[in-house]
Amino acid sequence: MKAFPMRRNTVVLIAVLFILAIFAWAGWANWEYRRQAAEKLLAGAAQGELVPAPGGDALEYVSPLNGKPAPSFALDDLSGKKVSLASYKGKAVLINFWATWCGPCKVETPWLVELRQKYAAQGFEVLGVDTEGDDLEASDKAGWAKEEAAVGKFVTEMKVPYPVLLDGDSISRDYGGLDDLPMSFFVDRSGKVIAAQVGLTSESDIEANIEKALGE
Amino acid sequence: MADEARPRLRLRVEFLKRISAIVAFVGFALLAAQAQVLPSASENRSIIKTDAVQYLFPEQVSVPAGKASSVTLHFRVAQGLHINSHTPSDEFLIPTTFSIPDGMGVRLGTATYPPGAIISLAFDPKTKLSVYTGEFIIQARIVATLGNHLMQGKLRYQACDQNQCLPPKTIDVPIDVIGK
Repeated sequence: MKAFPMRRNTVVLIAVLFILAIFAWAGWANWEYRRQAAEKLLAGAAQGELVPAPGGDALEYVSPLNGKPAPSFALDDLSGKKVSLASYKGKAVLINFWATWCGPCKVETPWLVELRQKYAAQGFEVLGVDTEGDDLEASDKAGWAKEEAAVGKFVTEMKVPYPVLLDGDSISRDYGGLDDLPMSFFVDRSGKVIAAQVGLTSESDIEANIEKALGE
Repeated sequence: MADEARPRLRLRVEFLKRISAIVAFVGFALLAAQAQVLPSASENRSIIKTDAVQYLFPEQVSVPAGKASSVTLHFRVAQGLHINSHTPSDEFLIPTTFSIPDGMGVRLGTATYPPGAIISLAFDPKTKLSVYTGEFIIQARIVATLGNHLMQGKLRYQACDQNQCLPPKTIDVPIDVIGK
């Protein structure tokens, strides 16, 4: 009579341990499945943005804006004049987001100057959009003035002949966040984004996209 | 008989209650663990794109109150990235700087930065850059008032890889500073 409860307790304990083991296994299997799914998601995200450019050895950034109208904007240039993208309708435009602290931007700027010179007569323009990504408060007048002075100095040193617009951060969300610089969007004569590039590629890759935007 | 069975029954009920509690606890723990495994796509993006620098340690330091004390702060730059040193080679580049905001009970006297490694990148071999990669340390001389201070220091940096750059960022450097 006394041994019975002990046996019953043992059976219950074994049953509970068995259930716990199933829980643990199910949890581990689920965790492993989710971990693999997360890894796939990460890999997918990385591969989904950069693909080999046709005819080039560089990677081309595939923006969700490709094939869509370029988001409109109107920003001040260095002289304080408002410049809108809409005013360039009928021209092929390269919107180049850059920053003074961005080394690769400095490397590609002479290429843009050269290509702008080469294709201007065919209806091509570059819009340099300064995107410092700084967390300056709107009230920080000294900070903004310093930033503007740095942009002005950079533009003078690099002998940039095309319009350079300020406060690209205000339109960064429309252009996909601009997490990395330089970033360029090629807009055709109808105002549609036909290609995008992120990071430093090559002058020939940029030129190929300019010709595409011009419809050549 | 009935008197004999009652304690046994009570024991069994207690036993089952404990087991149920364990099962419920393990179940909740598993659910919680699963919920943390799969971050959202935007979280993934921020991990890859913006966490270029990680503060490593110390988490807690004890210093004599009112006296300048040296604390060695350890950081790590993510693989494949570099950040400008405290004395970058170009005036346009953003230097790495450590600061402590006012009102934390801890004041930063001086910060001593390591010299940057001089590198040049494939796309621009002529330009020399002074950068930090991998792990680096900053020696901070701090003065704490008496008591326990949850200090949130700030490290500002700007990171790049071989072809592109990330916007400048300021990260928290949380240290529990005990002024004795």
